[in-house]
Amino acid sequence: IFSFSFFFFLNNSFAPLVTIVGALQGNNSDIISTVEFNHTGELLATGDKGGRVVIFQREQESKNQIHRRGEYNVYSTFQSHEPEFDYLKSLEIEEKINKIRWLPQQNAAYFLLSTNDKTVKLWKVSERDKRPEGYNLKDEEGRLRDPATITTLRVPVLRPMDLMVEATPRRVFANAHTYHINSISVNSDYETYMSADDLRINLWNFEITNQSFNIVDIKPANMEELTEVITAAEFHPHHCNTFVYSSSKGTIRLCDMRASALCDRHTKFFEEPEDPSNRSFFSEIISSISDVKFSHSGRYIMTRDYLTVKVWDLNMENRPIETYQVHDYLRSKLCSLYENDCIFDKFECVWNGSDSVIMTGSYNNFFRMFDRNTKRDVTLEASRENSKPRAILKPRKVCVGGKRRKDEISVDSLDFSKKILHTAWHPSENIIAVAATNNLYIFQDKVN
Amino acid sequence: MEVQKEAQRIMTLSVWKMYHSRMQRGGLRLHRSLQLSLVMRSARELYLSAKVEAQEPEVSSPPAKSPDPRLHPPREAETPAEVAPPDGEQPSPEPMDTQEEASGAQETSARGARLLAKVSRKRRSSSLSDGGDAGLVPSKKARLEEEEEEEGASSEVPARLLPAPAQAEGAFPNLARVLQRRFSGLLNCSPAAPPTAPPACEAPPACRPADSMLNVLVRAVVAF
Repeated sequence: IFSFSFFFFLNNSFAPLVTIVGALQGNNSDIISTVEFNHTGELLATGDKGGRVVIFQREQESKNQIHRRGEYNVYSTFQSHEPEFDYLKSLEIEEKINKIRWLPQQNAAYFLLSTNDKTVKLWKVSERDKRPEGYNLKDEEGRLRDPATITTLRVPVLRPMDLMVEATPRRVFANAHTYHINSISVNSDYETYMSADDLRINLWNFEITNQSFNIVDIKPANMEELTEVITAAEFHPHHCNTFVYSSSKGTIRLCDMRASALCDRHTKFFEEPEDPSNRSFFSEIISSISDVKFSHSGRYIMTRDYLTVKVWDLNMENRPIETYQVHDYLRSKLCSLYENDCIFDKFECVWNGSDSVIMTGSYNNFFRMFDRNTKRDVTLEASRENSKPRAILKPRKVCVGGKRRKDEISVDSLDFSKKILHTAWHPSENIIAVAATNNLYIFQDKVN
Repeated sequence: MEVQKEAQRIMTLSVWKMYHSRMQRGGLRLHRSLQLSLVMRSARELYLSAKVEAQEPEVSSPPAKSPDPRLHPPREAETPAEVAPPDGEQPSPEPMDTQEEASGAQETSARGARLLAKVSRKRRSSSLSDGGDAGLVPSKKARLEEEEEEEGASSEVPARLLPAPAQAEGAFPNLARVLQRRFSGLLNCSPAAPPTAPPACEAPPACRPADSMLNVLVRAVVAF
């Protein structure tokens, strides 16, 4: 994972700085598959295709190193999931980390959930900076002493040691999903969480690993009648009884767990009528929602489908209140994108801390931000060439036809292998993390 | 005409993608398979509606779906002789018709079918008429299907409230079985109608034998 941070402008003044954090040679297993800040923004976790989790920690501000303030450094690295083999179905279970979700911090240790296609794990990340010395029965290297040689007793004392960060798996939630897990979401009660696969959503208690409650089941009695699958799910940020899940048909259902044990009947159903002028051969595929996120306020939900990002008001089910075009110039290229499988890419979307700006990724290592208040939008690129020291991220523009200006890039020159699927926004500051294949970019907005 | 070719190309591509996705790590993905089947269904409808238009140029019936902008509108003057044989004249399904001169679309369809059936014979080989399902399916696949039936409550279901994931990936090997059944019938070049009646469509009944390949492909995928 190669990452460095520097400053860019959002809609204010800015001061550019750059710091290189670390670099690793990339191969397939280094492809980042999820990025998530914790609730304070102090930690940033990434999961990759090889089943590894890397946690970055923000440097504390210090008077000595002002220019290094706010930089993220590697804090802990551990192997979360290993490849498994399901012998009964003769299927390999990928170790790729699909999602990471942090638990709110309740003591000195940090807890996070990480999941692959089938198994969710709760990891405890804790620091150790002291170790006991002066054992009676063991010597300094840990070897047992011959009891006959012990003539005196002493009390072991704790002595400082170099900081060590260790990650231990505290819970393993396995064997509850027939299909591939696409989402996990921690409930605001901090006692439960849910995991969603293509057809079912299960509710877990953190303390109990051998049982879970099935709260949504959309599997038809006859699989031939299958028409839609669950694509994402999330708990409401404040109401522990409420959650939403999105479908491959472009709909969102809001469910209330107080209504019944099995939430197959939704409380609210969000669907926008299809625009007949946009109807095309691949309409059904591109309407599939790839990500759904509640706003921090809990009043809105944001959904991402292949070409747009939509913001919905929970109080209005018949259409979104805002629709943003991410890369509408691809609408005429859908057939090619189907051929190269890009049409199946699942982009995520994120809110900023104040819910005023939303961000999502695109191709050619571009990512887009939309300011909901000013209605301004910007396209930025995550690339090393553009990331010189003291550099500002320059807005990019895709030329959709006609005369191409000097700095513009034409649609046909876009590199579709460079896609930004995963991004994250610091909960309170303008710091973003952007995953570009196997590189992690961290950008900060610095106001003078 | 072009629309038909394009639709057929997309269908073949989808079939290939469906097959290929089985080979991927992590197994068949339900969402992906569903999306592929949706595209196949759209392609089939487009193909059929384009065919209807082409065969009845005077009738001003608009296609069921507006075609993708990338596809060219059908040229009404052309007779679809290459792609669709005249009504009822040729009993064998048109893409597998060995008597037709190869058109690009047919070639790719045949290739797709071959891939699915895991048959590595040439399209025009006389061995195509070999009977029996067993010859088309390697024993490995048969074992997979047997395992599926034995599965039952295989995985340790932790929750008393969880439904037993007995079906598991059971739907997916069914696809293989269905495809194998359907394609074996096709490859036998049997003049009999395909195993299941194609769903009702606006095309006149005489078109059916020519469409059986499409119907089979789409129904087979939907059946998963």
